[in-house]
Amino acid sequence: MIAPVIALILQAAQPAEAPLPDPALEARAQALMREIRCTVCENEPVSQSTADMAVDARRRIREEIAKGASDSEVRDFFVSRFGQYVSFRPPVEGWTLALYAFPFALLAGAGMFMGIRAFGRRKRDLAPLPDDRSEGAG
Amino acid sequence: MIAELGHLLAFLALAAAVGQSVLGLTTGGDAVRRLAFACGMFATLAMVTLIISFVRLDFSVALVAENSHTLKPLIYRIAGAWGNHEGSMLLWCMVMAGYGAAGAVFMREGALRDRALGVQGLLTTGSLAYLLFASSPFTRLTDPPFDGGGMNPLLQDPAVALHPPALYLGYVGMSFVFSLAAAGLINGQIDRDWARRVRPWALFAWSSLTVGIALGSIWAYYELGWGGWWFWDPVENASFMPWLVSAALIHSLIVTEKRGGMASWTVFLSVLTFILALLGTFLVRSGVMTSVHAFATDPTRGLVLLFGLSIAGGAALALFAWRAPTLKAGPEFDPVSREGALILNNLFLAVAAALVLVGTVTPMILQWLGESGVISREAASLSIGEPYFQLTLAPMVAVLLLFMPLAQAAPWRKADLNPLLKWLIPAAIAAVAGAMVAMALGGWGVWLGFGVLVGVWVVVGVGQDILRRLGPGGLGRVFRLPLTVWGMAIAHIGVGIFVIGATVETATRSERTFPLRPGEIAEMAGWTFQFQNLEQVEGPNYSALRANILASHDGRTEIIQPETRTFQVARTSTTEVAIRKTIGGDVYVALGDQLREDPSAWRVRIAYHPLIDWVFGGAGLIAVGGFMSLVARLRRKAPAEKPADEPAADAPPVPASAPA
Repeated sequence: MIAPVIALILQAAQPAEAPLPDPALEARAQALMREIRCTVCENEPVSQSTADMAVDARRRIREEIAKGASDSEVRDFFVSRFGQYVSFRPPVEGWTLALYAFPFALLAGAGMFMGIRAFGRRKRDLAPLPDDRSEGAG
Repeated sequence: MIAELGHLLAFLALAAAVGQSVLGLTTGGDAVRRLAFACGMFATLAMVTLIISFVRLDFSVALVAENSHTLKPLIYRIAGAWGNHEGSMLLWCMVMAGYGAAGAVFMREGALRDRALGVQGLLTTGSLAYLLFASSPFTRLTDPPFDGGGMNPLLQDPAVALHPPALYLGYVGMSFVFSLAAAGLINGQIDRDWARRVRPWALFAWSSLTVGIALGSIWAYYELGWGGWWFWDPVENASFMPWLVSAALIHSLIVTEKRGGMASWTVFLSVLTFILALLGTFLVRSGVMTSVHAFATDPTRGLVLLFGLSIAGGAALALFAWRAPTLKAGPEFDPVSREGALILNNLFLAVAAALVLVGTVTPMILQWLGESGVISREAASLSIGEPYFQLTLAPMVAVLLLFMPLAQAAPWRKADLNPLLKWLIPAAIAAVAGAMVAMALGGWGVWLGFGVLVGVWVVVGVGQDILRRLGPGGLGRVFRLPLTVWGMAIAHIGVGIFVIGATVETATRSERTFPLRPGEIAEMAGWTFQFQNLEQVEGPNYSALRANILASHDGRTEIIQPETRTFQVARTSTTEVAIRKTIGGDVYVALGDQLREDPSAWRVRIAYHPLIDWVFGGAGLIAVGGFMSLVARLRRKAPAEKPADEPAADAPPVPASAPA
């Protein structure tokens, strides 16, 4: 008598992984699943794993998104529980901002240095050397 | 006996390598060539003896006992010879000595060959000494076991059996480029002739590295069961960094060869590529990270590698610092010219490599600082993955690729930008149209649009350049165009196709996990999947749980059978996904775990990977283009030395900046 009831409750606790009805919200949820680490796996996001932790995390992400949470609120939710390690996206604030800035700073700095030097010495009387057809571009 | 023979052969190779380096760096001459050839032969034969031990399942050899098993199929017994630390070190030594032997065979005699073989001999000596005294693959067991320990089942896959040899041809090939650079510096001769002789080696190593990386990626896609082909995993990044730098190198070598410019930068890149290859090996082998390559982890090995890396890198950089002031600048050129474009290419690729390096080692350094108590655990907790690289590397590469068709068409010394831009209007129209179509079909994402825009621009722009080079003769001239042009065009078109595939796949793939009981139905991407039943299947050295799933699409129905395989010996399991190819992409079905709460239901992951074949196909074209350029170099006779500032003296007159 009681066993089927328990089975029903257990099944309710493990609902099918239904996508969110709104495709835009579901797309956001899937994007988040790709950047939250499955902590019991080896270098995998929760989107890709069939481990229980990943299943729980996916459900949690959908729930939070359905409740109207923003992407960063969902990230913060996981980071507050598992540490920054759980997010494959380093925060765009504090010292990790430098991680995002340095490649562009390097590119701009080196580019400007080389550009100013090259254009500063520019000579107007150079003629093009046409492609050497026997050798091509090389 | 065979293992003892292998041991002896490895010692003979070591002796030859010592002789090769001493003579190569002093007197030079024909003896160096013979010793280098002998060293390559001995090392190859030593590898052959190890493979024989693996094929014959000689469990009295410790390495075979640890890594093979009677139930293993033949091809994986062979691949098992390098699927472990000691065996892969022997493969490393063999490839390194093999490059020396190839140099002995293919290079014309002279100071460059002698010194290069000498430096290569030093590197080979170090590698072989490490192999023989710290990680010998030929150790015998006094009490051989009845059966072996098996191999990591994840590695039982054709793509990954060939992945290490290809990767090593690339990685270790950079050692010969390094040796040629060191030799040029020692001789004080880094000029157009030097660049012309280095380029085939750099092209071969780079193309092989491309193949090796692509095979690893294909393996991840098919074997790991999550449908990813690149995850910015440190192991992947470790091979990507030398790839980026050597891609910069094969471009800067063009400037040095054709115009005599950028000589010191080119030499610097030649040295840097091998240092990054060693650094990558260090990251993979030292245990600073865990991955499927974990067979190779051991801190003391890391120390040895770090030591070797510092010596090789330090010595080369000292040589460089000594000789760099004597290197001549090339002839003058306008910033708007092919030289300028190739410098831009090098700037972007170098910054990209720096970006990947920082993104890879920062979490490791933090973790190490955290474990040694310098900073708190919270501060040490950081992951850098796809979102980071998507925000930083992707826009950088996209901007670089916008210049690609221009660079290909720009003449040397000075280019006129306006006619070039006008000439490329068709490519621009095609690019915008392609981006619109992609966004209309796949959702209005900025990334998607920009990626497809850049990809189409490259493919059409390169196509236009080929048409321009064919000239009014049209198709009749197709076979008259030099092979180097085709090599470049195919590699560049490969880049465009790769970018389109990678963007579309990343932006529009979809994946879902369904808990399914027998009889239940899942629907996705226009397909219906009915989970029918599970059956137990016995393989040669595993037992598999196979799902029968009835897949229907467009009125057609077929059974697809994803499996999970359990390997008794290694006590691990792997996923065999079922993949159905469609024109637009792959339908990818993987069988997951049983539900704890409901043992009659299984998790089935269904994913759709659009344009995934463009990703691998693009990478393949890049490698094919590289090998074609190489073949073109080999077929052409070495031209006599020409004055540095008149590279095109023998060129037929061609209309200046001919577009239009």
